[in-house]
Amino acid sequence: MKEKHIIDMLEKGPLANLTESEVHMISAHAEICSACQSAYEASRISTLLIKERSAETMEPSPFFQTRVTAAWRERQASDNVPAFWRLWKTAGALVSSMALTTAALAVLSFVAPGTGTGTSQNTAADLSPYSAEAVVFNQDQSNDQMTDEQVINAIYANDEVK
Amino acid sequence: MKAFTQLGSYEGRGSMEGWLTRIATNTCLNILRASKRRPELTTADLTEDQDRWLEEKLSSAAGELHRSAENKLVAADLADRLLETLSPEDRLALTLIDGEDASVREVAEITGWSESKVKVRAFRARKKARKAMEKLLGASRRRLGFDSSAS
Repeated sequence: MKEKHIIDMLEKGPLANLTESEVHMISAHAEICSACQSAYEASRISTLLIKERSAETMEPSPFFQTRVTAAWRERQASDNVPAFWRLWKTAGALVSSMALTTAALAVLSFVAPGTGTGTSQNTAADLSPYSAEAVVFNQDQSNDQMTDEQVINAIYANDEVK
Repeated sequence: MKAFTQLGSYEGRGSMEGWLTRIATNTCLNILRASKRRPELTTADLTEDQDRWLEEKLSSAAGELHRSAENKLVAADLADRLLETLSPEDRLALTLIDGEDASVREVAEITGWSESKVKVRAFRARKKARKAMEKLLGASRRRLGFDSSAS
């Protein structure tokens, strides 16, 4: 029997599906052919391993049922809540912080408008009497300044005393 | 949970059991696909227990299942390593057909694949598993120190 034929028989279906005569034939041929013997053994053992793995029953963790039930209840509870409330729960923090910021900006803009941008002329002059603004804007306040005559008198007054 | 949340999509055409099995199967397939672990089966890191297990299986003519807890663990580990070399789809087909004795038609129903696709997948998986096991057995024999050609 050809090796290819044996391998075809091994691969066409599960080993368990082979008839008794087919198994007998393969075993007989495997005794005289090392390549077929190794293919047959490999098929037998891999099938055995897969069967062994499938026979194993997986026990879920003792908390599995509790967790699934809890998640189920949570989901049911969230389904019963109105859509607006669910939306509020998710976006509530964002919406309230945005509202707070808007309110703060409104207060700053309308309630205390004079503090920042009021009469700049007066403010500038009040802040620094020697600034350029003060010199320009306070031209009409020259009444406080000394006249030329007063200046000359003040300069030469000391000389006259001497 | 997935079945519960998608309960509305159950049209009642097939059995509820079949619908649930299909959801479970597809979920498992997606997990396997996501893991993308398909390492080559290397013999270098086989444990002594695994070598011994293979040797015992080679020497015993009957393919009876081991009942001792230790041997079960060794077999489970070897099986996992063997199955990890297959693609998720091939692995599913082989496990269902060769491991759980499901028919091609049953697998086709569970997975939603055509019967010919199931057959091709199972054939390919069987071939790959056999070749990997042949390699493993050859290496194991060499490690245990006896020549395969002598047997």
